[in-house]
Amino acid sequence: MELVEFKHLSKEFDNNQILKDINLKIPKGKIVGLLGKNGVGKSTLIKLINDLLTPTSGEILINGEKPGIHSKEIIAYLPERTYLDKEMTILQVIKCFKEFYKNFNEEKARKLLGDLNLDINKKISKMSKGMQEKLQLILVMSRDAELYILDEPLGGVDPATRDYILDTILSNFKEGSSVIISTHLISDIERILDEVIFMDNGKIILTSSADELRNKENSSIDEIFRRCFKC
Amino acid sequence: MLKKLLKYDLKWCYRPLIIFYILSLFFSIVIRIVEQFNTSFIFLILDKICSAIFIILLVSIFINNVIRIWGRCINNIYKDESYLTHTLPVEKKTIFLSKVLTTIITMFTSFLVIIISLAIACLTKETGIFLKNSLESMAVLLEISVWKLLTIMIITVFLEVLFMVLSGILGIVIGYKSNNLKIIKSLISGFLLYIIPSVIIIIVMYIVGLFNKDIMQLFNSVNNLNSIAIKSVFIGGCLMYVIYNIIYYIAGKKVLEKGVNVD
Repeated sequence: MELVEFKHLSKEFDNNQILKDINLKIPKGKIVGLLGKNGVGKSTLIKLINDLLTPTSGEILINGEKPGIHSKEIIAYLPERTYLDKEMTILQVIKCFKEFYKNFNEEKARKLLGDLNLDINKKISKMSKGMQEKLQLILVMSRDAELYILDEPLGGVDPATRDYILDTILSNFKEGSSVIISTHLISDIERILDEVIFMDNGKIILTSSADELRNKENSSIDEIFRRCFKC
Repeated sequence: MLKKLLKYDLKWCYRPLIIFYILSLFFSIVIRIVEQFNTSFIFLILDKICSAIFIILLVSIFINNVIRIWGRCINNIYKDESYLTHTLPVEKKTIFLSKVLTTIITMFTSFLVIIISLAIACLTKETGIFLKNSLESMAVLLEISVWKLLTIMIITVFLEVLFMVLSGILGIVIGYKSNNLKIIKSLISGFLLYIIPSVIIIIVMYIVGLFNKDIMQLFNSVNNLNSIAIKSVFIGGCLMYVIYNIIYYIAGKKVLEKGVNVD
């Protein structure tokens, strides 16, 4: 059974079709790059997996079931925006995650926070946006999930932070789990990808193994992407 | 999971409310003390200032409570925080129930604090007698005990306020279902959800009044009201508000269960 399956999935906003008849299978145990320019529907697709949007037609199956409690237990999702209650301290947020997610590893979270020299009694509102994003990444990667979904984790960050983010992802995801990384900054992540999905204009235009694609086209994924989406 | 959600919802709502609670209780005690010395001009001025602050605080408790609940619903179900709320392994109906229970609990405590504060600040021997006499005369008219009357009055007001807040919550759930003009649609939906049922109550009572002279008296004269008419208002009103509140809770739950479209 596939981990995630999209069947004729479409999503409209005010008669504007954002996703058009998506049929896609995401296997277990792979790092998948969801690649496409800004505004092609990557985040919409991710929000639909996470039950943050309702499909206009079609369906999504996660481990054979529609998004619900079961899928939320096994998916660790990092959205583009900061979503934590600003009035809470880091410690309170950790306790909150521990309470709600059975697979949250508090020790791992504390260790990762310690590496950043973050005071766990600090209020979220007193942290910079960059730090809040790092905290969210740590919270997500501290879960022993079956699927990690990271929406533009590298967007708008400096090269040093990019390295930190990629290292945190690679060294902390549970073995055997899948990772979906949505991005348009391909050169930074292409080395870690097993599978790639190219999206354009609300459609899936290509799905392939990263190595197969590189060998077939005899160029990097980044170059293939640039050729595909040349303006 | 409901307990856990409720804990966070209550914490969020009580965070500023507690300050208002403490301040209103503090000023009620100050007023009580200052009134002991109201022969002095300075204390008289102080009494007036404290009374004004006290009234503002009581109104603030109520307004803050209502706005805080609506704000919590918007932030937690549709804005940034919704990215956490909807990815928690919790059913949507549990999320909605938590918001409704938060409304009931916070409203109840706010009511309690307002009543206690008022009692501390204003309940003297004279006002006590006045209140007792007024309630007794009304209780005699209705042919019930004072305690029963007081209980019915408090329940009616509480249900009415609860209905207002639930109308707002359901308005938000309906308004945010669409993709644009969400706030305006929420406001319009909430307003209509509050007004239309209230008008329906009046129409129903008028129709009943066509067959019952006692009830019709409510529409014809305010001077010669009898106990049956007043009892009908209280009992009928309570019953209707209970029904409306249950309907709004079920409707909100159903709409939310169909799915969300967060910003």
